[in-house]
Amino acid sequence: MNAPPLALYLLAAIAYAVHFGTRSASSGRIATVSLVFGALVHTFVIGMQTMQVGHVPLVGTTGAISAFVWVLGLAYLYTEMTTDERAMGIFIVPLMTVLQLIPAISNSVAARPPVLESRWFEIHVFSLLVAYATFALACVISVTYVLLFKELKAKHPGVFFARLPSLHVLDGMNGRAVTFGWVFLTLGLVVGAIWLVQVQPGAADPRVQAMSLFDPKIFIVLLCWLVYTFSLYARRAFGWGGRRAAWLSTVGFAILMLNFVPIGYFGTSSHNFY
Amino acid sequence: MHLFLLGASHHSAPVDLRERIDFARRGIPEALDEIADVTGLAEVVVLSTCNRAEIYTHSEAPWPVADALAAFMSAFHDVPEPELAPHLYRRQGADAARHLFRVVAGLDSLVVGEPQILGQVKDAFAVASERGFTGAALNRLFHRSFTVGKRVRSETGLGEGAVSVSYAAISLARKIFGELTGRRALVVGAGEMAELTATHLRSQNIGRIGVANRSAARAATLAAKVDGVAVPWEGITSELTTTDIVLTATGAPRWLLTRAQVAEAMQPRRDRPLFVIDIGLPRDVEPSASELEQVFLYNIDDLQSIVRENLARRQAQVDRAELMVREEVDGFMRWLRSRGAIPTVVALRRHFERTRQQELERLAPKLAPLSPSAKARVEEVTRLLVEKLLSSPTQQLKAAPDEDAVAADADTISRLFGLDEGEAGTDEQRRVSRERAAVGAAERPSALRNR
Repeated sequence: MNAPPLALYLLAAIAYAVHFGTRSASSGRIATVSLVFGALVHTFVIGMQTMQVGHVPLVGTTGAISAFVWVLGLAYLYTEMTTDERAMGIFIVPLMTVLQLIPAISNSVAARPPVLESRWFEIHVFSLLVAYATFALACVISVTYVLLFKELKAKHPGVFFARLPSLHVLDGMNGRAVTFGWVFLTLGLVVGAIWLVQVQPGAADPRVQAMSLFDPKIFIVLLCWLVYTFSLYARRAFGWGGRRAAWLSTVGFAILMLNFVPIGYFGTSSHNFY
Repeated sequence: MHLFLLGASHHSAPVDLRERIDFARRGIPEALDEIADVTGLAEVVVLSTCNRAEIYTHSEAPWPVADALAAFMSAFHDVPEPELAPHLYRRQGADAARHLFRVVAGLDSLVVGEPQILGQVKDAFAVASERGFTGAALNRLFHRSFTVGKRVRSETGLGEGAVSVSYAAISLARKIFGELTGRRALVVGAGEMAELTATHLRSQNIGRIGVANRSAARAATLAAKVDGVAVPWEGITSELTTTDIVLTATGAPRWLLTRAQVAEAMQPRRDRPLFVIDIGLPRDVEPSASELEQVFLYNIDDLQSIVRENLARRQAQVDRAELMVREEVDGFMRWLRSRGAIPTVVALRRHFERTRQQELERLAPKLAPLSPSAKARVEEVTRLLVEKLLSSPTQQLKAAPDEDAVAADADTISRLFGLDEGEAGTDEQRRVSRERAAVGAAERPSALRNR
């Protein structure tokens, strides 16, 4: 069921690449339109799965990745439509396409263990997905910032000079995305902790018992929280912006990605609900 | 159906002559009126920029208008004809259309792809159009040219990249700071380049321009010119902490700003970028200052190499742009020729319709007993028959490959169908066609051969 959005994302990824190369208006339109259709079809798929199993399919890495790709697509489309900048698409949409391969291949919707049947759990997962998607955008914006910065420093304006918005705009977008993501990350962590306090005393599930600050998944996400918190603090306290803020965004998201795929599958004994 | 262009540009005439034939001096509306008086032309557009003076016309009759226009130009600008004539170029038909399309696309400009020309041609067209000097042909020609101009600029990189040092500096500033509104600039030194760049900065709505010079009087003069503020020479370093863009052009033998001075100024700025444009010769700013985080230092060579690259990049797009121009010229000429066929098509239709009516009248007694619905059916069937018979000839007439063919078709059609004089084609077309038949293909009039 996750294959049709994958096909549309792939088409969009190709169109964004062509648009980046040629900057023709028609390829840009094709890119945006196929991404919008991809996101719509994806919405439909997630909706169908929700009706099929009676809850939003957020459990299990495949369900979470599908939902992450969906949120990322919406966040990117929002950015594109509000800033009228398509250059970032070449970085975001291929990432979405690659990630969407995972749910498209292993297509089952994980059954939800009874312990997760809680409003808290849904808020926890959804907030974190929004945070992750926003951080992904911040990371891409930061990478483009660094690329443009290098071109300007090298006194050799070229590919990125012609296609990207100004350093000032990119820095501002990065700052806003990190702030927004940080709010959702914090919310997700707090809600997760509240849920854990509620269920842990009575739960026999070994996974729930394994939840502690030293579980890799929880440890890493807290590390990310520290990175992003520092980034926000440093911007206000020591005027850290530009390249320093860009590097922090990139590092923060690299750690998050580590959590999402390898640790999500192999490294955690607490967050493996599938 | 004759397009004609007479003009002079930077390709054909030296600057002192171009200045003397600038229509703006006496006024384009006056020129339009006078051309109409002198030549009797109904469709005229006068295009006048600092690099070109051109008259575009459209008429039913061909070329005598060329000499009349040359005489008008000489009289209007008071330049003797023998002096002016060698610098004028004449273009007809497709060549005239191609010339206009290339002009609007920026292919004929001094700096290939420069953007102003599109607006200038639009203005020239608007002036002529408001005064009723444009008809169907010139309307179509100019509107197509605007489309060509936009297509070339959006689909090729012909208009991209700064091609002057001061615009290169502005475009870099915009890539660092985004909109320059409210930003602060500091100009140190004087000179033409400093003034030019400061003027461009002013046109970007920059917040404040500080001007410093060893001579306070010169600082005040330049500050007044660019609507800036004179800054005392000793205040430069403190000014650095709050300014965003610094332009230095003193050419003093020692560093005006050392790396240490810039580093010190960057301290309170933290990660706020500083863009330093050093156009002094010898250089004013210690080059290693560019290693400081968030300092972007460009000297005159850096800017010139950007300009050279941009020019080369534009040049690489010329072929694509020329191809677009060719497509558009072909499209326009097809349309123009199909218009040439219209009188013949109309005459042919009128002839068929008259024949149909005559036959229906002749048969009226026989048709009288029929019911009203049967009569309506007869009417409809005959009308459809005529439509059907005419549909292919109509298409073929409109698709004639050139004006010779249009004229020959008009001649043949009127002969075959015995159309009245004045019915098929214009008088002009039939005259051309007859001449062609009389003279023979090898000895066509030169005007036609050139087409």
